[in-house]
Amino acid sequence: MSLIARHLEANGIPTVIMGCARDIVERCGVARFIWSDLPLGNSCGRPFDVGSQRTILGMALDLLESARAPRTTVQTPYRWGLDDAWKDDFWRVDEDPERMARQRAEFDRQKAIAAERRKEAEC
Amino acid sequence: MGERGAEGPERTGPIPYVERSRAYYLAQGYGNPYNWAFHEDVPFAPLAKPLAESRVALLTTAAEYDPALGDQGPWAAYNASAKFYRVYSRPTDVIPDLRISHIGYDRVHTSAEDMNTWFPLAALREAEDSGRIGEIGPRFHGLPTNRSQRTTIEQDAPEALARCREDGAEAAILVPN
Repeated sequence: MSLIARHLEANGIPTVIMGCARDIVERCGVARFIWSDLPLGNSCGRPFDVGSQRTILGMALDLLESARAPRTTVQTPYRWGLDDAWKDDFWRVDEDPERMARQRAEFDRQKAIAAERRKEAEC
Repeated sequence: MGERGAEGPERTGPIPYVERSRAYYLAQGYGNPYNWAFHEDVPFAPLAKPLAESRVALLTTAAEYDPALGDQGPWAAYNASAKFYRVYSRPTDVIPDLRISHIGYDRVHTSAEDMNTWFPLAALREAEDSGRIGEIGPRFHGLPTNRSQRTTIEQDAPEALARCREDGAEAAILVPN
Protein backbone atom coordinates (compact mmCIF):
# COMPACT_ATOMS: atom_id res chain seq x y z
CA MET A 1 0.00 0.00 0.00
CA SER A 2 2.95 2.33 0.69
CA LEU A 3 4.07 1.89 -2.93
CA ILE A 4 0.57 2.85 -4.11
CA ALA A 5 0.61 5.96 -1.87
CA ARG A 6 3.98 7.00 -3.30
CA HIS A 7 2.63 6.69 -6.84
CA LEU A 8 -0.43 8.81 -6.03
CA GLU A 9 1.75 11.46 -4.36
CA ALA A 10 4.15 11.56 -7.32
CA ASN A 11 1.12 12.25 -9.51
CA GLY A 12 -0.32 15.05 -7.42
CA ILE A 13 -2.80 13.28 -5.12
CA PRO A 14 -2.04 13.83 -1.42
CA THR A 15 -2.30 10.66 0.67
CA VAL A 16 -2.34 9.46 4.23
CA ILE A 17 -1.64 5.88 5.32
CA MET A 18 -3.33 4.41 8.41
CA GLY A 19 -1.32 1.46 9.69
CA CYS A 20 0.29 -0.60 12.44
CA ALA A 21 3.59 -1.81 10.91
CA ARG A 22 5.69 1.25 11.54
CA ASP A 23 9.05 0.00 10.30
CA ILE A 24 7.65 -1.44 7.07
CA VAL A 25 5.83 1.76 6.09
CA GLU A 26 8.66 4.11 7.10
CA ARG A 27 11.25 1.98 5.36
CA CYS A 28 9.25 2.27 2.12
CA GLY A 29 8.87 6.00 2.74
CA VAL A 30 5.47 7.72 2.54
CA ALA A 31 4.26 11.29 2.74
CA ARG A 32 1.90 11.00 5.74
CA PHE A 33 1.45 8.12 8.16
CA ILE A 34 -0.90 7.62 11.10
CA TRP A 35 0.65 4.90 13.22
CA SER A 36 -1.22 2.91 15.86
CA ASP A 37 0.77 0.64 18.18
CA LEU A 38 -1.85 -2.11 17.82
CA PRO A 39 -1.72 -5.66 16.42
CA LEU A 40 -1.82 -5.95 12.62
CA GLY A 41 -5.45 -5.88 11.52
CA ASN A 42 -6.34 -2.81 13.60
CA SER A 43 -5.05 0.05 11.44
CA CYS A 44 -8.24 2.04 12.00
CA GLY A 45 -8.76 1.50 15.73
CA ARG A 46 -9.66 -1.04 18.38
CA PRO A 47 -12.50 -3.52 17.74
CA PHE A 48 -15.95 -2.23 18.75
CA ASP A 49 -14.34 0.97 20.09
CA VAL A 50 -16.04 3.54 17.90
CA GLY A 51 -14.33 6.36 19.78
CA SER A 52 -10.87 5.11 18.83
CA GLN A 53 -11.97 4.56 15.23
CA ARG A 54 -13.41 8.06 14.99
CA THR A 55 -10.34 9.67 16.57
CA ILE A 56 -7.82 7.83 14.38
CA LEU A 57 -9.71 8.71 11.18
CA GLY A 58 -9.88 12.30 12.42
CA MET A 59 -6.13 12.31 13.01
CA ALA A 60 -5.61 11.04 9.45
CA LEU A 61 -7.73 13.87 8.05
CA ASP A 62 -5.89 16.42 10.21
CA LEU A 63 -2.57 15.14 8.91
CA LEU A 64 -3.67 15.55 5.28
CA GLU A 65 -3.90 19.25 6.02
CA SER A 66 -1.08 19.80 8.47
CA ALA A 67 1.90 17.89 7.08
CA ARG A 68 4.44 20.26 5.58
CA ALA A 69 6.88 17.66 4.32
CA PRO A 70 7.05 13.94 3.52
CA ARG A 71 7.84 11.25 6.13
CA THR A 72 5.50 12.85 8.63
CA THR A 73 4.45 10.14 11.09
CA VAL A 74 1.92 10.78 13.83
CA GLN A 75 1.30 8.19 16.57
CA THR A 76 -2.21 7.59 17.89
CA PRO A 77 -2.67 7.24 21.67
CA TYR A 78 -4.19 3.76 21.67
CA ARG A 79 -2.76 0.65 23.34
CA TRP A 80 -3.85 -2.95 22.99
CA GLY A 81 -3.79 -4.13 26.55
CA LEU A 82 -2.45 -3.65 30.02
CA ASP A 83 1.05 -4.44 28.79
CA ASP A 84 2.88 -5.08 25.52
CA ALA A 85 3.30 -8.85 25.91
CA TRP A 86 1.23 -9.40 22.74
CA LYS A 87 4.14 -8.04 20.72
CA ASP A 88 6.26 -11.13 21.43
CA ASP A 89 3.86 -13.47 19.69
CA PHE A 90 3.91 -12.23 16.11
CA TRP A 91 6.27 -14.16 13.79
CA ARG A 92 7.65 -15.91 16.85
CA VAL A 93 10.15 -18.65 16.09
CA ASP A 94 8.80 -21.78 17.75
CA GLU A 95 11.37 -23.81 19.72
CA ASP A 96 9.65 -27.04 18.71
CA PRO A 97 10.95 -28.18 15.28
CA GLU A 98 7.83 -30.25 14.64
CA ARG A 99 5.54 -27.28 15.11
CA MET A 100 7.80 -25.16 12.89
CA ALA A 101 7.68 -27.89 10.23
CA ARG A 102 3.87 -27.94 10.41
CA GLN A 103 3.77 -24.17 10.04
CA ARG A 104 6.05 -24.34 7.04
CA ALA A 105 3.97 -27.09 5.41
CA GLU A 106 0.83 -25.00 5.83
CA PHE A 107 2.64 -21.93 4.49
CA ASP A 108 3.78 -23.85 1.40
CA ARG A 109 0.25 -25.16 0.88
CA GLN A 110 -1.19 -21.63 1.02
CA LYS A 111 1.52 -20.38 -1.33
CA ALA A 112 0.52 -23.02 -3.88
CA ILE A 113 -3.13 -21.93 -3.59
CA ALA A 114 -2.09 -18.30 -4.07
CA ALA A 115 -0.07 -19.20 -7.17
CA GLU A 116 -3.11 -21.01 -8.57
CA ARG A 117 -5.33 -17.98 -7.88
CA ARG A 118 -2.81 -15.72 -9.58
CA LYS A 119 -2.74 -17.93 -12.68
CA GLU A 120 -6.55 -17.86 -12.85
CA ALA A 121 -6.53 -14.08 -12.60
CA GLU A 122 -4.05 -13.76 -15.43
CA CYS A 123 -6.03 -15.93 -17.83
CA MET B 1 14.04 -4.26 26.79
CA GLY B 2 10.85 -2.71 28.07
CA GLU B 3 10.52 0.49 30.01
CA ARG B 4 8.37 0.95 33.04
CA GLY B 5 7.13 4.33 34.10
CA ALA B 6 6.92 5.30 37.74
CA GLU B 7 3.63 3.46 38.12
CA GLY B 8 2.69 2.31 34.64
CA PRO B 9 2.86 -1.07 32.94
CA GLU B 10 5.81 -2.30 30.93
CA ARG B 11 5.89 -0.90 27.39
CA THR B 12 8.12 -1.69 24.45
CA GLY B 13 8.69 0.14 21.17
CA PRO B 14 7.25 -0.67 17.75
CA ILE B 15 7.50 -4.31 16.65
CA PRO B 16 10.51 -4.68 14.30
CA TYR B 17 8.51 -6.50 11.60
CA VAL B 18 11.29 -6.45 9.01
CA GLU B 19 13.78 -8.17 11.35
CA ARG B 20 11.12 -10.53 12.69
CA SER B 21 10.04 -11.70 9.25
CA ARG B 22 13.63 -12.37 8.23
CA ALA B 23 14.38 -14.37 11.37
CA TYR B 24 11.10 -16.28 11.14
CA TYR B 25 11.40 -17.37 7.53
CA LEU B 26 15.09 -18.19 7.90
CA ALA B 27 14.21 -20.40 10.88
CA GLN B 28 11.64 -22.12 8.69
CA GLY B 29 14.38 -22.94 6.21
CA TYR B 30 13.71 -20.39 3.47
CA GLY B 31 16.95 -19.04 2.07
CA ASN B 32 15.76 -15.77 0.54
CA PRO B 33 14.13 -13.44 3.05
CA TYR B 34 11.59 -10.98 1.68
CA ASN B 35 13.20 -7.73 0.64
CA TRP B 36 10.89 -5.01 1.99
CA ALA B 37 10.76 -1.89 -0.16
CA PHE B 38 13.18 0.88 0.77
CA HIS B 39 13.28 4.41 -0.64
CA GLU B 40 15.48 7.36 0.19
CA ASP B 41 13.31 9.96 -1.49
CA VAL B 42 9.61 10.40 -0.80
CA PRO B 43 7.21 12.28 -3.10
CA PHE B 44 4.91 14.83 -1.48
CA ALA B 45 1.76 16.49 -2.83
CA PRO B 46 0.11 19.24 -0.77
CA LEU B 47 -3.67 19.56 -0.62
CA ALA B 48 -4.85 21.75 -3.49
CA LYS B 49 -7.80 23.15 -1.53
CA PRO B 50 -9.29 22.86 1.95
CA LEU B 51 -10.24 19.36 3.02
CA ALA B 52 -13.80 20.57 3.63
CA GLU B 53 -14.04 21.13 -0.13
CA SER B 54 -12.07 18.05 -1.21
CA ARG B 55 -13.21 14.70 -2.51
CA VAL B 56 -11.49 11.92 -0.58
CA ALA B 57 -10.76 8.44 -1.97
CA LEU B 58 -10.54 5.31 0.18
CA LEU B 59 -8.18 2.45 -0.72
CA THR B 60 -8.04 -0.91 1.04
CA THR B 61 -6.22 -4.25 0.89
CA ALA B 62 -9.33 -6.04 2.18
CA ALA B 63 -11.33 -8.43 -0.02
CA GLU B 64 -15.04 -8.75 -0.64
CA TYR B 65 -16.57 -11.67 1.21
CA ASP B 66 -17.25 -14.56 -1.16
CA PRO B 67 -18.93 -17.61 0.42
CA ALA B 68 -17.39 -19.81 -2.27
CA LEU B 69 -13.85 -19.13 -1.08
CA GLY B 70 -13.73 -20.89 2.28
CA ASP B 71 -13.46 -19.53 5.80
CA GLN B 72 -12.93 -15.78 5.74
CA GLY B 73 -13.53 -15.10 9.36
CA PRO B 74 -13.89 -13.81 11.94
CA TRP B 75 -11.24 -16.08 13.50
CA ALA B 76 -10.28 -17.55 10.11
CA ALA B 77 -6.86 -19.08 9.55
CA TYR B 78 -4.80 -17.58 6.75
CA ASN B 79 -6.79 -18.22 3.57
CA ALA B 80 -4.94 -17.74 0.30
CA SER B 81 -8.06 -18.74 -1.65
CA ALA B 82 -9.51 -15.34 -0.78
CA LYS B 83 -6.62 -13.46 -2.40
CA PHE B 84 -7.28 -11.36 -5.49
CA TYR B 85 -4.91 -10.10 -8.15
CA ARG B 86 -6.71 -7.24 -9.85
CA VAL B 87 -7.72 -3.85 -8.51
CA TYR B 88 -11.46 -3.77 -7.84
CA SER B 89 -13.80 -0.84 -7.17
CA ARG B 90 -17.17 -0.72 -5.45
CA PRO B 91 -19.62 2.09 -4.63
CA THR B 92 -19.23 3.86 -1.29
CA ASP B 93 -22.95 4.50 -0.82
CA VAL B 94 -23.45 0.98 0.52
CA ILE B 95 -21.41 -0.53 3.36
CA PRO B 96 -19.67 -3.58 1.88
CA ASP B 97 -18.70 -6.81 3.62
CA LEU B 98 -14.91 -6.81 3.49
CA ARG B 99 -12.64 -9.43 5.05
CA ILE B 100 -8.90 -9.80 5.68
CA SER B 101 -8.50 -13.58 5.87
CA HIS B 102 -6.04 -13.40 2.93
CA ILE B 103 -3.72 -11.12 4.90
CA GLY B 104 -1.09 -11.93 7.52
CA TYR B 105 -2.57 -9.97 10.41
CA ASP B 106 -2.09 -10.85 14.08
CA ARG B 107 -4.29 -13.93 14.46
CA VAL B 108 -3.22 -14.61 18.03
CA HIS B 109 -4.55 -11.34 19.39
CA THR B 110 -7.04 -10.18 16.76
CA SER B 111 -10.30 -11.85 15.80
CA ALA B 112 -11.17 -9.68 12.77
CA GLU B 113 -14.75 -9.34 13.99
CA ASP B 114 -15.16 -5.60 13.48
CA MET B 115 -14.63 -4.41 9.89
CA ASN B 116 -14.26 -0.84 11.13
CA THR B 117 -10.79 -1.71 12.43
CA TRP B 118 -9.52 -2.16 8.87
CA PHE B 119 -12.05 -0.29 6.71
CA PRO B 120 -12.95 3.20 8.02
CA LEU B 121 -15.95 3.95 5.79
CA ALA B 122 -18.34 4.46 8.73
CA ALA B 123 -16.01 7.00 10.36
CA LEU B 124 -15.39 8.66 6.99
CA ARG B 125 -19.14 9.04 6.49
CA GLU B 126 -19.34 10.85 9.82
CA ALA B 127 -16.58 13.17 8.63
CA GLU B 128 -18.55 13.82 5.45
CA ASP B 129 -21.78 14.44 7.35
CA SER B 130 -20.09 16.90 9.69
CA GLY B 131 -18.47 18.79 6.81
CA ARG B 132 -14.92 17.87 7.83
CA ILE B 133 -14.36 16.63 4.26
CA GLY B 134 -16.08 17.76 1.08
CA GLU B 135 -17.25 14.32 0.09
CA ILE B 136 -16.28 10.67 -0.12
CA GLY B 137 -15.28 9.47 -3.58
CA PRO B 138 -18.06 7.55 -5.39
CA ARG B 139 -16.11 4.29 -5.15
CA PHE B 140 -13.57 2.67 -2.86
CA HIS B 141 -10.73 0.72 -4.40
CA GLY B 142 -9.38 -2.69 -3.39
CA LEU B 143 -5.68 -3.30 -3.94
CA PRO B 144 -4.05 -6.73 -4.26
CA THR B 145 -1.32 -7.66 -1.79
CA ASN B 146 1.32 -8.87 -4.23
CA ARG B 147 4.58 -10.31 -3.07
CA SER B 148 6.09 -8.85 -6.26
CA GLN B 149 6.82 -5.14 -5.83
CA ARG B 150 7.28 -4.95 -9.57
CA THR B 151 3.68 -6.02 -10.13
CA THR B 152 2.50 -3.46 -7.58
CA ILE B 153 4.51 -0.66 -9.19
CA GLU B 154 3.92 -1.52 -12.84
CA GLN B 155 0.35 -2.83 -12.75
CA ASP B 156 -1.58 -1.94 -9.60
CA ALA B 157 -0.26 1.57 -8.85
CA PRO B 158 -1.09 3.00 -12.31
CA GLU B 159 -4.49 1.28 -12.12
CA ALA B 160 -5.18 2.81 -8.68
CA LEU B 161 -4.13 6.26 -9.93
CA ALA B 162 -6.34 6.00 -13.03
CA ARG B 163 -9.37 5.04 -10.91
CA CYS B 164 -8.74 7.81 -8.37
CA ARG B 165 -8.55 10.29 -11.24
CA GLU B 166 -11.76 8.96 -12.82
CA ASP B 167 -13.40 9.56 -9.45
CA GLY B 168 -12.04 13.10 -9.23
CA ALA B 169 -10.22 12.30 -5.98
CA GLU B 170 -8.32 15.21 -4.43
CA ALA B 171 -6.91 13.27 -1.50
CA ALA B 172 -6.67 9.59 -0.58
CA ILE B 173 -6.73 7.48 2.57
CA LEU B 174 -4.91 4.16 2.24
CA VAL B 175 -5.23 1.34 4.74
CA PRO B 176 -2.77 -1.58 4.64
CA ASN B 177 -3.34 -4.46 7.03
